[in-house]
Amino acid sequence: MGAGIIIYLRPCLIAMIFIDKLCYTSKIRYVNPIEKFTYALGTIVLAIMSRSILVGGILLIANGFFVVRLGGFSYRRYIQLLKLPLFFLILSTLAILINLAREPLDAFAIAVGKFYLTGSYKGIIDMLKLVMTAMGAISSMFFLSINTPISDLIWVFRKLKIPDALCQLMLLIYRFIFVLLNSAQYIRHAQEARLGYNGYKRSIKSFSSLIAMLFVDAIRKSSELFDAMQARCYDGSINVLTEHNSVNPKRLAIIIGIEIILILSVMTLRIMGKGLF
Amino acid sequence: MKNSEKLVLSLSIALALMLGFLPFTYAMHIMEGYLPISYCLGWGAISIPFVVWGFISIRKTLEKDSRSITLLALAGAFVFVISSLKIPSVTGSCSHMTGTGLGALLFGAGAVSVLGLIVLVFQAILLAHGGLTTLGANTFSMAIAGPIFTVIIYGICKKLKVNKLVSVFIATALGDLFTYCVTSLQLALAYPSQVGGVAASLMKFLGVFATTQVPLAIIEGIISVLIIMALETYASKELKAVGYIKEA
Repeated sequence: MGAGIIIYLRPCLIAMIFIDKLCYTSKIRYVNPIEKFTYALGTIVLAIMSRSILVGGILLIANGFFVVRLGGFSYRRYIQLLKLPLFFLILSTLAILINLAREPLDAFAIAVGKFYLTGSYKGIIDMLKLVMTAMGAISSMFFLSINTPISDLIWVFRKLKIPDALCQLMLLIYRFIFVLLNSAQYIRHAQEARLGYNGYKRSIKSFSSLIAMLFVDAIRKSSELFDAMQARCYDGSINVLTEHNSVNPKRLAIIIGIEIILILSVMTLRIMGKGLF
Repeated sequence: MKNSEKLVLSLSIALALMLGFLPFTYAMHIMEGYLPISYCLGWGAISIPFVVWGFISIRKTLEKDSRSITLLALAGAFVFVISSLKIPSVTGSCSHMTGTGLGALLFGAGAVSVLGLIVLVFQAILLAHGGLTTLGANTFSMAIAGPIFTVIIYGICKKLKVNKLVSVFIATALGDLFTYCVTSLQLALAYPSQVGGVAASLMKFLGVFATTQVPLAIIEGIISVLIIMALETYASKELKAVGYIKEA
């Protein structure tokens, strides 16, 4: 994927194109994906169960450490990945923090006519908790995606007994996202060369015809793909060789053990009414 | 009077916030870690019957014609790609289509529920856009409620003998709006406002995102109409292949 396409895409898509390449260079790419998946899912659940600034912060740092030490990426890359969701997160959390009320709350209040735009200290702490929980969970997700190619993840989904047809669809869809993005790029270049995006009205028109042509292209490619698959003896299931080591039972046991202990202790703290900060 | 005053006020504040803050819109997805665990499970449970229904309908199509596996895959990729291209915009902000409404009109709501789920998994894992734990809630709003609403509106318009292109516009625009209302409701239920509870919170979320979502819904409608027009001109054969022309 050339750099050219990037400007036509939503900013977050750039992250995806990065990740799709980066995960193959990870130093722990060949570690069994079940281990990585268990770690990521466990820590995400931990973050959500605890809802605490402390746990979120620890996860952020721990995942950063793992991504750098185990995966072999730079801290800059890690922070770069986390920046986009953070921006959105803060924005949407502001909506939770700010209340519209007749009586001002304790933390701050801005008078607007008869009402106040106001928030409480409890609200601010809740907001911080929410942001840190989400960032902790997101960092675990990035740990997973930057170290594991999608085909390996789909292999995990298969092991989890997700129906085969669904896994096949996933594999094919993933492959064709990039193919169609490429087609979109070619069409876009051709349109730009003919001043197709000169002026708003014309842009909307060109954009629509781009998508319509993309549709035609997709249908054509789908039929060609099926022919190609049949020529290679497709009989209703796609079998791909995956490149990774077998599960290291000791390591998996340690991961599961530690996570169960952490989740249980967070839960008991909650039940005792001593929520973590 | 009180309530309407409140509404106008929150809308105007939302407008101010919007113009100040939001250069691009991520309004639709609920982020990873954003919902308490009970809500994650609840929305997941609500989504399951729809996804199973979609999966059964996909299975049936596959049994009839195994060729449709690649067609469905390309449909999924198509929905993902159109939701990832920037719509040309006046202000230079970055907005995009949801794509699921158009997808539902072209490929059927059942198929889109499953394809949408897969697309959301990719968006969650690769973009931190949505999340694994909020997958249920996001699937419900974007892959189930929105598309089904679009198809229903389209059906009603057809019954009322509204012009086809007009009905495409109405259906996709309203479907887009409906998706965002459901998302707001999901957030409001999980985070009732300190003052005024769920209702006030709902109004707040609706207000905050309304200024970007309403114009976006209209643009989505217009673009969908233009796409359908182009498709009917150039690709009637392909439209037949996905079953759009037959039912329309």
